[in-house]
Amino acid sequence: MFTDFPHSFYYCCLFLAAWFGIMYFRIVSRPFLFLILLVWLVLISELFAKYVSYVWHQSNNFVYHIFTPFEFFIYGFIYSQLLGDKKLKIVISILVLFIFVFEVINTFFLQSIHQSNTNTIIVENIFLVTLSLMLFIRIKEVPTYQNLLTEPVFWFNSIILIYYAFNIMIWGFHNLKVYNLANPPNLMYDINLVFSGMLYLIFSIVLYLEKIKPQSNLIHHG
Amino acid sequence: MDSSGLQSSGVIFFVLAGLVVIALMLGFIVYFIVSYRHKKKDADLLNLQKKEIEDQKKVVEKTLEQLAEAQDHLIQSEKMASLGLLIAGISHEIQNPLNFVKNFSEINQELISELKDALDNNDNNEIKEILSNLDENMSKIVFHGNRADSIVKGMLTHSRNSQGSKVAKDINALAEEYMRLSYHGFKAKEKSFSATLETDLASNLPLVPVIEEEISRVFLNLFTNAFYATFEKKKLNPDHFEARVLLKTSLFNNRVEIQICDNGNGIPSKNIEKIFQPFFTTKPSGEGTGLGLSLSYNIIKAGHDGEIKVESNPNEGSCFKIYLKYE
Repeated sequence: MFTDFPHSFYYCCLFLAAWFGIMYFRIVSRPFLFLILLVWLVLISELFAKYVSYVWHQSNNFVYHIFTPFEFFIYGFIYSQLLGDKKLKIVISILVLFIFVFEVINTFFLQSIHQSNTNTIIVENIFLVTLSLMLFIRIKEVPTYQNLLTEPVFWFNSIILIYYAFNIMIWGFHNLKVYNLANPPNLMYDINLVFSGMLYLIFSIVLYLEKIKPQSNLIHHG
Repeated sequence: MDSSGLQSSGVIFFVLAGLVVIALMLGFIVYFIVSYRHKKKDADLLNLQKKEIEDQKKVVEKTLEQLAEAQDHLIQSEKMASLGLLIAGISHEIQNPLNFVKNFSEINQELISELKDALDNNDNNEIKEILSNLDENMSKIVFHGNRADSIVKGMLTHSRNSQGSKVAKDINALAEEYMRLSYHGFKAKEKSFSATLETDLASNLPLVPVIEEEISRVFLNLFTNAFYATFEKKKLNPDHFEARVLLKTSLFNNRVEIQICDNGNGIPSKNIEKIFQPFFTTKPSGEGTGLGLSLSYNIIKAGHDGEIKVESNPNEGSCFKIYLKYE
């Protein structure tokens, strides 16, 4: 099941992040408490998807149709906490609502529950890259961090920017070139798995940095 | 395009494009770190400067507090000095009638002794004359006793009225009274001093609303300064100088004008601009706080919405003019 390197790496990193979540959930600040919730949501949905696929021998794409809007809902909550701006909170709420509506439309009219919901994933990724850039601007506006490289929020936002910008390209390419192929190239999915593993590895580091740093983050608390 | 075609061209393009995207994002993050550090450095410098300014502000505020405290002490000293002069003046005012009372009482004692002799000799003419003298002296004793009594009552009235509120007053009487009090106060301090006190008081002055305690302090300060100036000039020309101080009142442009002039040394033109500044004094150390004229200025300007001016000619004398509204 997880014998190849990309899968092994991805699940190891995901379990590590989930484990750190259990270890540190009492001490992390509110935005990263929701990050732990997200990691556990990913772990549960991934395990359920594998169960559907290997035990029921059915397509597990429907799991991602449900998972994607809830994933963005949690990211939206994290970013509204980190950005700490009332107007942006309203904008983020609208984006979250939009993703839910878009996913319903996508499922009914564009990509059925038996197909991968790449359209919703691309829109979600565009929103996340935008939010990440906005947070970078906000961090620079109020330079309160003494050493940026030891700040969990910096690592969290950096990996969101890199991973989801790369994801836009992956799923964009997927939509244009390989969506309807009978035998899509595995290399693309393997690269995606390795990058997903790196995302959860960085999340683990973020949680660890949250544990070791004193809680005096101005942006976290708005 | 089939899957083998994708393996050869599409996937290579995908990998290259992916690397470009990652490189761009990494480049952005490195740029962000560098620019953040620059901004942080600037912000830290700004915060440091702010902190220094805050610290300096605290030091300045503390110094200001200390200065205000010192100023309060000095003002208190100035008031005490004025009070000293006032007490000396009042003592003199009461001393005069008391001397009369004492002298006439002594004369009456002698007259009573003479009366006893006259009674023994049955000299009726002598008895009548002595009784007449006794009666005359008793009248004088009563008169001077009443004068002392009225001085004390007047002072008590002053102290009762000095509640910080304005009361309509006869400026002529008040200024003249303080001219006399400050003269006797100054004489008590400088025994050899004497001056001619001149008055030119307008008879048609209306009552002026003043805070009596404060305006009295102004008169006391100005008259004492006038006496001081003439005394200093007298020390330089003991034989050929006669000290004169003039009090003149008049109506001027719907205001009461009070002039206090002296024929002392005058004020050098370089000092004219500074005389109303706090702590400015030309008196030797220990003789003046430099607050008398400053306080007077504040009392007239802020307390009475009036005006105070000075005209002075070196070696000829000075003239202080006060203008007070009476409507």
